[in-house]
Amino acid sequence: MGAQVSSQQRSRSRSRPRSGSDHGEVLSVHSSDNWNTLFQNSRSSNKLMVIDFSADWCGPCKFIEPTVHDFADEFSDVDFIKIDVDELPDVAKDFDVKAMPTFVLVKKGKERERIVGVKKDDLHRMIEKHRF
Amino acid sequence: MAVSGFEGFEKRLELQFFTHNPVIGIGLRELDFQSLEQVLHQVQCTVVSALGNRHFDSYVLSESSLFVYPTKIIIKTCGTTQLLKSVQPFINHARTLNLELFTLRYTRGSFIFPEAQPHPHTSFHEEVMFLEDNIPQNLCYKKASVVPSKLTSHSWHVFSAGAVEYSDNAPYTVEVCMTNLDQTLAQKFFRHPNDRKNGDSAGREMTGKTGINRINPNAQICDFAFDPCGYSMNGLDGDRYSTIHVTPEDGFSYASFECLGSDHIDMAEMVKKAVKVFGPGTVSVATTGAGDDMCKRIKAAVEDVGMKCRSWSTDVAPAAGKVVFQTFTSRRRT
Repeated sequence: MGAQVSSQQRSRSRSRPRSGSDHGEVLSVHSSDNWNTLFQNSRSSNKLMVIDFSADWCGPCKFIEPTVHDFADEFSDVDFIKIDVDELPDVAKDFDVKAMPTFVLVKKGKERERIVGVKKDDLHRMIEKHRF
Repeated sequence: MAVSGFEGFEKRLELQFFTHNPVIGIGLRELDFQSLEQVLHQVQCTVVSALGNRHFDSYVLSESSLFVYPTKIIIKTCGTTQLLKSVQPFINHARTLNLELFTLRYTRGSFIFPEAQPHPHTSFHEEVMFLEDNIPQNLCYKKASVVPSKLTSHSWHVFSAGAVEYSDNAPYTVEVCMTNLDQTLAQKFFRHPNDRKNGDSAGREMTGKTGINRINPNAQICDFAFDPCGYSMNGLDGDRYSTIHVTPEDGFSYASFECLGSDHIDMAEMVKKAVKVFGPGTVSVATTGAGDDMCKRIKAAVEDVGMKCRSWSTDVAPAAGKVVFQTFTSRRRT
């Protein structure tokens, strides 16, 4: 029992999902329960959340992965969440994700911006724009 | 026509693979990015944007586009890129995944600046020799042809090679090449000097302002605007790709629209919308594997937007199917 959250750097069972990280990690979310809790927490926080919708079989997603980690390091006050569209297809559907990678910027539970595709400059600019 | 300038006309390569494995899985999509970059480096181009869906990966390149399906690669490059140098590396990388080359098709129009092309693209003859040297022996159904038109500056070059003869159930391809673009429309593909945008956001703006997003409203678009001018986009609609590339400069202006077709889409309407975006003086449409009905519908659609069909030539590529090459010029010119 217990919700499972794994970050890119370590993977452990925890009794409660972490709401975010100050250490520049990208949190991979694997269960809907976990996602729901994270999303609820984000609604009451002022923190920007960047959701990276990706898939194992998607070449462009692998291409931009190092950049997402770099951004997570650079913007340590922003939550970076990774969702695999095969693992959480309902969440992907809720967010109307049709192609990958899709980055959705969410603040206080509302979508502020969306970037579809590998667009490093745009993604950087949008994070800067919405982070505070 | 300018004495020299950027060559918009692309070289296009399509490689299809087969495997003995009972399960293909994601096939070529398994290729890691370093391997792809290595091949692109040989062709002298780089990735500027990318987008994938359940069926394939698409990459916008500094000089056109790359599409990677599980068993098919399509790469299209313009300028003075040495596209055919990608053949061997792609074959080798595919082998590491237990995939063998099954068919190859190389097509291009006529270069605006043929003397500027490097080896092996200095002539079609040289390209064919290079391909013959670089493809495996089992691709024994081969043919090279130059399909003419009434416009001496516009021919369509096709080299196809396959392990078996063409069978009718593949989707067809439409390649539209447009020159002498209406300069008012072409202006939309120039960046504004102080637009405070980047290639991504400027590209997105161009896609909307020019109506490119309305050619196929169902497609997910990955676009990019080059500095100081130029534009590229890939469209993803299920398992069908589309791609547009624009060189807007007066004197050598060029735009291409390419799309994978099927019976379920209105290809003629899409071609018509694409031609309307650019208002070209000359259009050529090359279809591979399309039936005559579809070609006639496309002809009617292009004639509907102020063009007149000047020629209709056909050829049969043993490994790719029937090739139909139509050319049109604007009615306001003779």
